Amino acid sequence: MSEMLRDLRLADPAMSRFDPMRRIICFDDFDRGFCGWTQLVGNYEHSLDTMNPSYQQHTQPQLSSVTHWDNGTHGGWDGTYALKIQTRPRKGARNVAIKRLTFRKPCPIRLEFYFTFKPEATELRLSETDVRSVGFLYDLQDPHEGGKRIMPHLRFLNAIDGAHVQKWQFKRVTTEVKPLGTEGKTVTHDHLAPDGWEDLPGGHQKLCYNEIPTKVNWHYCRFDFDLAAMRMIDFQCNDRVYDLSGAGPIVMPAMRNLWCMLNIAFFAETDADKRALSYIDSVCISGDF
Amino acid sequence: MLPHNATAVIARNEVWTGKAASEPYECGWAREAIVFLRALDTPRGIGRTKARIEISPDGIRWVPSGTTLALPARRDQITLARLAHFGNWLRIAADLPKGASVKILATIHLKA
Repeated sequence: MSEMLRDLRLADPAMSRFDPMRRIICFDDFDRGFCGWTQLVGNYEHSLDTMNPSYQQHTQPQLSSVTHWDNGTHGGWDGTYALKIQTRPRKGARNVAIKRLTFRKPCPIRLEFYFTFKPEATELRLSETDVRSVGFLYDLQDPHEGGKRIMPHLRFLNAIDGAHVQKWQFKRVTTEVKPLGTEGKTVTHDHLAPDGWEDLPGGHQKLCYNEIPTKVNWHYCRFDFDLAAMRMIDFQCNDRVYDLSGAGPIVMPAMRNLWCMLNIAFFAETDADKRALSYIDSVCISGDF
Repeated sequence: MLPHNATAVIARNEVWTGKAASEPYECGWAREAIVFLRALDTPRGIGRTKARIEISPDGIRWVPSGTTLALPARRDQITLARLAHFGNWLRIAADLPKGASVKILATIHLKA
């Protein structure tokens, strides 16, 4: 990247908080609307009843002003709105927001975003163990027949069964791929099923949660992935950088209609019978081309 | 810049019985909304039960807005309510009679 390009981006207040590769694939600031982020709907054929129940629970993401009953509107990093991913109020529930692209060059790409999370403030308690996790994933497929479908997943496991564990995890397994309906064209699997998460070596991290459930602080994340080698490179959250050479994605045979797929998803899981709220202030995806 | 316009599917293939409500939806950016309810299956025993639009000061506690709409009485029937001036959150609630049920698709169509 040229020094001029770097300096131009540093001089732009909207871009200066990101560190993109040469080409910006998308820059989503939710003060401009949903920017292509929608709910992850499960697959089905002939009837919605064929949808995997774990996907039935998903709902639409929301443009949120991050407003609380006791202190009003918090707002985003630098505006009013953030993308909100809200689970249902049932322990173990999850929700997923997704943006669906394809890639034009297999090369290193970088995902950067600012996020925070809180449980719904239904109790006058700190509630720091009520959100189980927040995380993100890519859903990718090689460009050529005979290739693979690759799904790198990372999550911050905040708490599990009330224990405040605060560590990053990755995932290399999904559930059995099952056919749907009768036409032999559609299948389903639950790559976000609760089983199979592995601890990222050295992946413990204490994030700023603040002192009551209605104060939020924003966090920075960066994830580098190589679309040519389909390999995770490294990952950064705030001041910590993690080597991902010992981690890996979910890998499965390519599917019939997904060539060059580049899907990006954010998800949240709740560890209590109350809604988990994950907020994304802005997202920048860039590529080395 | 064109005004924002978005559709949110807030209940999909959910069977409503008893005291039913959609998940809360934050949409304070919108000035107007239309709520559509569609029955995905043949409703049972709902009679003339009405759904009500509820608004909220905090997304947690709910107040009837005064707007109601009929629950769809037959499969694929669609009912609607037009809304304005609803604050920051919306949800749809209904009290169904004992033994009654409806499989619902609820969508909110929002414009800034």
